[in-house]
Amino acid sequence: MKRSRLQSVAASSLLLLGLCAAAEAGSRPRYGGTARVLLHDRVNSLDPATEDDHPASRDRMAALVFETLTSVDRQGRVHPRLASAWTPDAARRVWRFYLRLATFHDGSQLTAADAASVLSKNQYGWKVTAGDRQTVVIEAPAPVVHMPEMLAQPRFAVVKHLPDNAIAGTGPYKLREWQPAERAAFTANEDYWGGRPYPDAIEFQMGATLRDELLQRQLSPASAAELGLDQMRALDTSNQSIALSSASDLMVLLFLQPESGGKPGRKPVDPRVREALSKAINRAAISNVILQKHGLAASGLLPQWLTGYEFLFPGGTNLDRARELRAEAAGLIIISPIALAYDFSDPVAKLAAERIAVDAREAGLTVQPYGESHINSRNARASINADAVLLRIPLASLEPSVALASLAEDLGLSLDLSVAALGAARPEDLFEVESKALADFRVVPVSHSSQALWLNNGVHNWVQLPNGVWDLDQLWVEGAR
Amino acid sequence: MSLKTKLLLLTAISISASVGAVAFLIEDRAHEAFRTVEHERTAGLVSQFRREFDHEGDDVIHSVETIANSESMLRAAIELSNGADVARFVNEAQSYAAAQRLDFLDLVAPDSTIISSAHWPARFGYKQRWFLDRPGPLPQQAFLKHVETPTGSELALLCLRPVPTQGASYYLVGGRKLDAVLQALSPPQGLRVAVYSAPEQGQGGLLGPAREGLDLNRVMPLVQKTLDQRSEVSMTIDMGGKLLEEDQQIVHAIPLKGYGDRVSAVLLVGNSLQQELTLEKRIRNISLVIAAVGVIIGVIVSGVMTARLSRPIRELAEAATEVGQGNWNVRVESGAKDEIGRLASAFNQMTGELITQRERLVQSERVAAWRELARRLAHELKNPLFPLQITVENLVRARENTPEQFDEVFRESAATLLAEITNLKTIIGRFSDFSKMPAPQLQRVDLNEMVRSVVQLFQGQLKRDGTKIEPDLQLDAQLPPVSGDPTLLRRVMENLVLNAIDAMPNGGRLTLRTRTEGKAAIFEIGDTGKGLTREECDRLFTPYYTTKQHGTGLGLAIVQSVVSDHHGRVSVSSKQGQGTTFSVELPLFSSSEDSSGERNEFRVGAGS
Repeated sequence: MKRSRLQSVAASSLLLLGLCAAAEAGSRPRYGGTARVLLHDRVNSLDPATEDDHPASRDRMAALVFETLTSVDRQGRVHPRLASAWTPDAARRVWRFYLRLATFHDGSQLTAADAASVLSKNQYGWKVTAGDRQTVVIEAPAPVVHMPEMLAQPRFAVVKHLPDNAIAGTGPYKLREWQPAERAAFTANEDYWGGRPYPDAIEFQMGATLRDELLQRQLSPASAAELGLDQMRALDTSNQSIALSSASDLMVLLFLQPESGGKPGRKPVDPRVREALSKAINRAAISNVILQKHGLAASGLLPQWLTGYEFLFPGGTNLDRARELRAEAAGLIIISPIALAYDFSDPVAKLAAERIAVDAREAGLTVQPYGESHINSRNARASINADAVLLRIPLASLEPSVALASLAEDLGLSLDLSVAALGAARPEDLFEVESKALADFRVVPVSHSSQALWLNNGVHNWVQLPNGVWDLDQLWVEGAR
Repeated sequence: MSLKTKLLLLTAISISASVGAVAFLIEDRAHEAFRTVEHERTAGLVSQFRREFDHEGDDVIHSVETIANSESMLRAAIELSNGADVARFVNEAQSYAAAQRLDFLDLVAPDSTIISSAHWPARFGYKQRWFLDRPGPLPQQAFLKHVETPTGSELALLCLRPVPTQGASYYLVGGRKLDAVLQALSPPQGLRVAVYSAPEQGQGGLLGPAREGLDLNRVMPLVQKTLDQRSEVSMTIDMGGKLLEEDQQIVHAIPLKGYGDRVSAVLLVGNSLQQELTLEKRIRNISLVIAAVGVIIGVIVSGVMTARLSRPIRELAEAATEVGQGNWNVRVESGAKDEIGRLASAFNQMTGELITQRERLVQSERVAAWRELARRLAHELKNPLFPLQITVENLVRARENTPEQFDEVFRESAATLLAEITNLKTIIGRFSDFSKMPAPQLQRVDLNEMVRSVVQLFQGQLKRDGTKIEPDLQLDAQLPPVSGDPTLLRRVMENLVLNAIDAMPNGGRLTLRTRTEGKAAIFEIGDTGKGLTREECDRLFTPYYTTKQHGTGLGLAIVQSVVSDHHGRVSVSSKQGQGTTFSVELPLFSSSEDSSGERNEFRVGAGS
């Protein structure tokens, strides 16, 4: 009896030990496997220096291959990347970055000259030189308070152009296959200076929707997908893992003008009409309903959670004032219908644009929304026949000044605004810069929305920063060796 | 226009009018038949439309009721009534509408707020009160109503159903475009059907596959009339194409009442008149051909008939013309026994009577002429006979009473007797001359030269006794020569000049004028005497008629006789108190007479 009891206790203990070992093995990172990622947008070029219709999607892939000098974690703290250290001068105008020993995917060594050639193509008039083989010196005409955060943006990634029109980076993954706008495959860089990444490969499928893939049951457990906010409700009730960023993407109405990237010769919309439209938009309806409460009504360019001062900007709906402004303008000019272009491939943008048209109608304004294939790049906007565009611009950085400078550049605002933002050391200074940007209603913030990421249960350590940027350094997938 | 032509014309007009009347009647009957058929076709199509409309309405009701009664909708309504986030349901209507093939679907909260809209998703949160503001129960049938969409107002066949919950009801407003009803129609050839959508605000438009065939601008007056009268109106409309028969349509406009008894649309049924107009054109063409053939045949037949009918009449007319010209010895031969035959007999009888009467008249005139001649002769001879008698009696008386003075008396009486005998011879000579007027010896005569010569001859008489008659020569220098006997013409001219001088005892102006008129030369002599009365002018050329104290009355008769022998004419015109003008018209000398005329040319100095 005793013996049998002991035997059963021993068996139970063995079983428990086995289960614990299995559980430990399931949560521990392991090498191997292939992660599969579905991207909503189609990307034509991986080179961060080129202009693309969907730069955010491009940067998601490019970050695997190309590295920046610095990186930012989810708390917004700067970490060394290709630069192991950096020092500013007292005025924070001249910065020295000391590069680590790293190797490009073609086998060549990373030098300061490589980094300098990339960084010298900036918009801000920086003088970038190689101090020595491993030192990059950046001399800005005005102080740049947060230069390390600035250089953490994908646009400053170090890219080496090879003679056969190929490009090489120093990142943890190498480009294995590239089918523009269709598919990209990356394999682990065994010689990565930071150590080999866990997965053997990561594959991207562009222009794919999660719904279609789910219907076709083609998704492996090691899959991730960008998720539109309009698809959130369908997955809310299921047991799927959905990662949401902070409300960081700015949905903004940008009135095109010839001097700011609009079509040459097209008459700009009257400022009173722009203000009337801004007052007419029911931002709460857009953020609560269209964005399914995964967005916030925006009155400023940067979100409240990042700056703390957005509430100071007036952004509520005021139909009476909108009608007054419209009547005032109608007494002086003939108000033409406003052609509003939105991203053809974005159903949320379509619905938001239509809602803006409905709200505008209440104020006596006619807004005609229509879909455009290319509205996200400045060059594309210069050729479209619209009075305004509805854009969704991701938050470029978790550092407000860097984010505002980047936004100003993306929106085609004055370079002075960007420079002033980069030099803003205090929140008050930044508020002043942002106020200037919003003063003439050429830029009308609509909402800040989250980015959604669907993760299958075989994907682990997929880090999404508050601004939606992916950090895949510690990614590993199940089903590997 | 001749009688024959008139008869022909009358016949042609009669035939044309008859054929035209028949063609008109045929066309009118065809037109009426077409209208009847057209009305029947239109009524059939309207009936088909109503059937399709009702069928589509039932289908919409079924679809909306299916949604309203579905478990998921009931669950959604319950969740909403329990305070669920409306944002979760913003896309609800789209999936339901897609499943039920509805073009329009709104999920409306009890407070009339749109929760979800399939056709205008962005319109969530706005109120839709039109059915809540209307008193009375919700309509059970489908109805027409305009629905606001991002692209404007669209005409829809709607159905309204509540989704009851424990508290207040939610509502479903769903429907389809009216286009589906129109698409389902299969109009007969030549018929077009479209619907004019009349929204409460903004401009309307045409719906349906046939809208391309109907010009909105042209049908708009008809539509407006229908909307005003709220009853069916028809109108023939030219759609303004190149060919008339291709573009004329009879358009029937039938008002379609919608929600709240408002006329939301107008059903337009256009019936092309192409077939009718083509047939009418064909009938017209055939009628024209028949008319033309009828007219030609009629003209030929009536030509023959009228020729037969009008020949005796024409002969009668020609005979009458002959009679008018003085030839009374004409007869009309007609074997007919009708009115025309009797007319011909009467005509012949009339001409016979005329001839008899003329002979009697000539006889009596001859007697009268002889009497007049005798009277004249007696008168003319009596004047010189009386002095002869007195002188002879004086001689006898002197021989008996005063023989010593007889010689002296004898000498004086002998002289008187010789003078009177001479006078008698002169009188007798004149009469002899008149009776023996010689035939003119025609030759080339220069009238201007003759005028100058005569005036020269009478120069002395023009200035006698202190009175002065001014000669005024207005001679045409281009006057061609005339054909005449210079002696006789000179006598004519002298007679007329003498008459003119006698007419101006107190002096005046003697006008002599020559000119050319056509193929004749005119010679005129005018005086400024007291003139003649109309009766005097009429009788002036009658032999033995004179207005003077002394005169035989033969001068102007001789003038007329000579001019007439020259194939000319003499006329007189006179105004009392202003004078008299004689006009002599003579034929021009022709070239055929020229060869002989060269030798016989009248020369004033030599030939006279």
